[in-house]
Amino acid sequence: MAVSTDTRELVVTRVVDAPRRLVFKTWTQPEHIARWWGPQGFTTIHCEMDVRVGGAYRFGMRSPQGTERWKRGVYREIVEPERIVFTFAWENPGTDVPHNELLTTVTFDEEGDGTRLTLRQTPFASAALRDSHNAGWTSTFERLAEYLVTTGDRSNAASGRITR
Amino acid sequence: MEPDPLTSTFAALADPTRRAILARLSSGEASVTELAAPFEMSLPAISKHLKVLERAGLITRGRDAQWRPCRLEPRPLKGVADWLEHYRVFWEQSLDRLEGYLSELQGKEKPRGRKH
Repeated sequence: MAVSTDTRELVVTRVVDAPRRLVFKTWTQPEHIARWWGPQGFTTIHCEMDVRVGGAYRFGMRSPQGTERWKRGVYREIVEPERIVFTFAWENPGTDVPHNELLTTVTFDEEGDGTRLTLRQTPFASAALRDSHNAGWTSTFERLAEYLVTTGDRSNAASGRITR
Repeated sequence: MEPDPLTSTFAALADPTRRAILARLSSGEASVTELAAPFEMSLPAISKHLKVLERAGLITRGRDAQWRPCRLEPRPLKGVADWLEHYRVFWEQSLDRLEGYLSELQGKEKPRGRKH
């Protein structure tokens, strides 16, 4: 089966023009998190975090329409200034969001004068650990997404493109 | 609590063998024997995986008792694609804001950038 092993889950990368130590701080200090967390137009209304392995966090945010969304999780790994691993779950999931816990890994790598942020997210915390050496999520999804597009079902094809 | 459909889909997808089976089915329907061929696994073991996929609505089986080809069902996968897209947007927009915030922070930290 030609499924590559070097990619899995949802991966988002970004190079920012700031030193790694500062970027790391913006992920680990509540006064910073509150300033950027969440999509455009969302406001952070609550932010408590106990940044150590096993420590919990809880964030609340309000959408531009006034809906509150709360998320919480536990830090699994804190390696300053290189890496943070945490679980992530919505407290009030809608029908579009599953109830399960996600596992998010953020790595900070120096790149020139800036920092490369790489964020990986898997749908299941336990499966993520178990699957770390197996065929990847992303490559499977890519093939399945291709399939969705080729079935000719317009409603499927619209969201079939999941890779950039 | 009754699991939501997406959670059932993820539970079925949380196994590398089952994902590989789905990847194979994305290029066309196949029999159990054909699906088992690439794996070092017994037919009953493969059948077990197929049952999980079938219960999750990810595949359907033909009715012919002799030749019961498995077919991929795209509907639950659309939920997965939507889920991925939802979080991609969430993180991309958060990182956009972070980028803006970082330049604001650094502007403030540089003494020459101050107005007074």
